[in-house]
Amino acid sequence: MKADEVEFVAEVARAGAGLSVERDKLYVIESRLAPVARREGFGSIRDLLLAARHRREGKLMWAVVEAMAGGETSFFRDPAIFARFRDEMLPELARRRGRAPVRVWSAGCSTGEEPYTLAMFLLEEKDKLLAGWTFDILATDLNDNSLEAARAGIYGEYALRNTSDVLRRKYFKDAGDKKLQANDLLKAPIRFDRINLSDDSKMLFQKGIDVIFCCNVLIYFDLASKRRVVQHFYSNLLPGGYLFMGHAESLFQVNESFRLVHFLGTTAYSKPTALQAAGAKK
Amino acid sequence: MKAKLHSQLQAQIKKLDSISAAPAILTPLLNMLRLPSDKIRVEKVVELVSYDGSIAAQCLRLANSPLFGCREIETVRSAVMALGLERVRSILFGLYVNRVIPQDKWVIDPDAFWRHSLGCALVTQRMAQKIEYPEPEKAYMAGLLHDLGFLVNSVLYNEDFRECLRRAAEQHVPLHVIEEQVLGFTHCESGQMLCEHWGLSKELVDAARCHHDVSLLPTAGPLACLVHLSDLLCRARYLGYGYDEIMGVDLGSDAAWQTLVTTFPALGNMDLVRFTLDIDGAMDKIVATVDSVFGVKKIAALATT
Ligand SMILES: C[S@@+](CC[C@H](N)C(=O)[O-])C[C@H]1O[C@@H](n2cnc3c(N)ncnc32)[C@H](O)[C@@H]1O
Ligand SMILES: [Fe+2]
Ligand SMILES: [Fe+2]
Repeated sequence: MKADEVEFVAEVARAGAGLSVERDKLYVIESRLAPVARREGFGSIRDLLLAARHRREGKLMWAVVEAMAGGETSFFRDPAIFARFRDEMLPELARRRGRAPVRVWSAGCSTGEEPYTLAMFLLEEKDKLLAGWTFDILATDLNDNSLEAARAGIYGEYALRNTSDVLRRKYFKDAGDKKLQANDLLKAPIRFDRINLSDDSKMLFQKGIDVIFCCNVLIYFDLASKRRVVQHFYSNLLPGGYLFMGHAESLFQVNESFRLVHFLGTTAYSKPTALQAAGAKK
Repeated sequence: MKAKLHSQLQAQIKKLDSISAAPAILTPLLNMLRLPSDKIRVEKVVELVSYDGSIAAQCLRLANSPLFGCREIETVRSAVMALGLERVRSILFGLYVNRVIPQDKWVIDPDAFWRHSLGCALVTQRMAQKIEYPEPEKAYMAGLLHDLGFLVNSVLYNEDFRECLRRAAEQHVPLHVIEEQVLGFTHCESGQMLCEHWGLSKELVDAARCHHDVSLLPTAGPLACLVHLSDLLCRARYLGYGYDEIMGVDLGSDAAWQTLVTTFPALGNMDLVRFTLDIDGAMDKIVATVDSVFGVKKIAALATT
């Protein structure tokens, strides 16, 4: 790729989704764009970019943004996150929320593995920690193809490599071709929706969330966009709510309002309750 | 602490020495622990290591392990050089302590105990370096020694302490909380007394005393604060007492953090998520060191030599 092509891709990704493209990692850019070029019927990445640039074609530009947003994911990607959510947060939420449904948001859900994992964790607690309550999971992404795959919920062995036989039998059905499909029980609590995290007007509408999972998404963002998204998350959460990110992601020098909390094997960011906030000022 | 219990405990600790024959290296070893590491003479360490055949063998084996590059090390001197004085010092200390505790008295799994102690030593030292605390070696020692009280409790209050561990594991709560209920004192207090009995410096004594509650001393020194934070971090990274605790700790709002940051502003510039990842990175090394030196089977082997 030529320098001006790289520049074009970076600018489109920044403007479209707040993404920060590492310009020196050519192999990453090329490996992401090559499938798009093929899918859209172009002979090369160059032709794809030429068409996008000169025809200013919205659909093609967006395909470039989606490709640069990445999508690597799997079931039970970071099990400690889900285990801590269950063991440490659910009991606390139960005390605080009474019978109001627990609201969880998987922001940047890609092809659905993360929200389905969450749903399994929660469904497993239906008669235990969650006895007598309901929950719903909002699962969003900017990539329509990923969302479509997520809604279908069909997965191969590789995606399911960390999923036990017990869970497979309970929450999946055979989809032929050595694949499994999420059953109705697993799909019921999840609502899939298209939300671009860099779309301020959409972000303002999300309210009353208990826990947000935004794992391995903001790593691709530029600092300014990351700051905006995280500030939105802070407003989206109820006091006492938590934000989980990927295990290497930090809000150090990104956001001052959230508090970092260490749990066994993982960290999360908490939005203090009024009481906690007052306690800290003492 | 309640005065009577206190003097009882003190009298018991004096007896510790006679529970097992204290190896002859004890006195010179304790003398060495009191020194900052730049004052330690290599010759002295080599002498202490060579004094005991099985300790010398351990050091040679560790120095030749893949962890330290698989070099062909044949003399105690080169083993000490390869491992570094700091590591040899804690190995010596650990091996010595392992001999003081009779085999059947261990309550906490020795592997878990040494992983926690060595982990804390390294984390305390790293944190000390990050915040520009002037004596990082002392921080290392404070981390290594902070939970000695567990050993005192294991030897002197064996049955009750077993009950403490059982309940703490069952309820997923910190051990010191249950110790207070069952024993009436914690390993912080018995640890403090052992450190005093061994003539360790006041700062090390205070760190042992206050590591779960820095508000105990009117002027909890920076060492106590550092050890307190490192202890929490280690427990949050599976380097705890060998069972899972329910814990959500906000280190930034912790009293120890708040105290430290006024004296060492560099703490405020520390990205705790990064720092925690560093600990994960060092984990393999900690576990491998502990396993190759203090692994249960090896302790058993040592006990018979
Ligand atoms: C690496 S995947 C992470 C999937 C899942 N959260 C996990 O941890 O396994 C990143 C996802 O974030 C989405 N994404 C990136 N930028 C986004 C934005 N501005 N708005 C919404 N989703 C975005 C991508 O489309 C992609 O599906
Ligand atoms: Fe302790
Ligand atoms: Fe400890």
